[in-house]
Amino acid sequence: MSDRFTEAVGRRLVSRASAEELGNLSHLVVDVKRRQITSLVVGKGRKATVVDWDKVSGFGPDAVMVVDESALRSPEGDHEQAAAGGKLELLGKRTLSDMGNELGPVSDVVFDPEKGGLETLVIGDREVEASSLLGAGSYAVVVRAPADAGS
Amino acid sequence: MKKLLVTGTAIRGLPVVTLDGGEDVAEVRDLIYNPEAGRVLGLTLNKRGFLAGRRREVLPAEAIHAIGRDAVMIDDEDRLSPPEEAPDEVGAPPTGRDVTGNEVLTEGGASLGQVKDVVVLVGSNGEVVGYEIETASGGTGYIPLPNQLAVSGSALVVPDATQDFVEHDLVGLGAAVDDFRSRLGLK
Repeated sequence: MSDRFTEAVGRRLVSRASAEELGNLSHLVVDVKRRQITSLVVGKGRKATVVDWDKVSGFGPDAVMVVDESALRSPEGDHEQAAAGGKLELLGKRTLSDMGNELGPVSDVVFDPEKGGLETLVIGDREVEASSLLGAGSYAVVVRAPADAGS
Repeated sequence: MKKLLVTGTAIRGLPVVTLDGGEDVAEVRDLIYNPEAGRVLGLTLNKRGFLAGRRREVLPAEAIHAIGRDAVMIDDEDRLSPPEEAPDEVGAPPTGRDVTGNEVLTEGGASLGQVKDVVVLVGSNGEVVGYEIETASGGTGYIPLPNQLAVSGSALVVPDATQDFVEHDLVGLGAAVDDFRSRLGLK
């Protein structure tokens, strides 16, 4: 089974240990090189906290279960601060091919909820394998040019 | 095959974006063009953002991954080099290389118009495949270029065949470049 960023955002996080709701998922943070979700951002603005992927015990369709409340931590370093602020969010970000042509904004990201691996980027009506993902930053997501890019 | 082309004017102001980081580290200030070679040798840069000034570093063509319609792609920010570390042609380019305003003359002595801009192949690192010209009648035309040109600083000489390939837009030129070059016996 695959899950999608557009469906996962807003999902509640629940502590497996206490059954308490911990907040709602606002961003998924991705390691582009490994094409892997590394952490989740919970809440927004200055109150945003981070949960590392290895503290997620079950990424389910109705709730994201995390081991316990101690899994929530403050964002550390520039990269996580930027991620917590939503600056690195893939959804809605402009896509550039490595040839320097815009392909449109990222409309969805399909991922494996078991392992957190990225599977497909949806860019407009085009689907691009996650293996084509070259980089992502505050300005753009960069993908290897699909065969029909630029036409 | 139809080629996708972009004018020098459209390249100025494009963001320079890293492939690995997706960051816009600079933007194109101007093209360093060598008319004899028919190549962009490099780019000068501005800082990114509103009211930002000039960036000291230059971007040699060899360090460019691709010039596109929407961005100039580089591997990483280290590709930008201080002018003293860049090849002289890029770090301290000779003046008087601007072909804008030059008259375009065929070998047979017909004037096709004046150069307005260079036309660059999208996806290349600076291959100039043609010129935008202002024709004698005051309109805009696009002509393909051979690989080698005689350039004087006030005029440039193109093969007679160029006359048959004056296109009205970049799409037309994109389709004409290969035909033109095969007619000249180039690849």
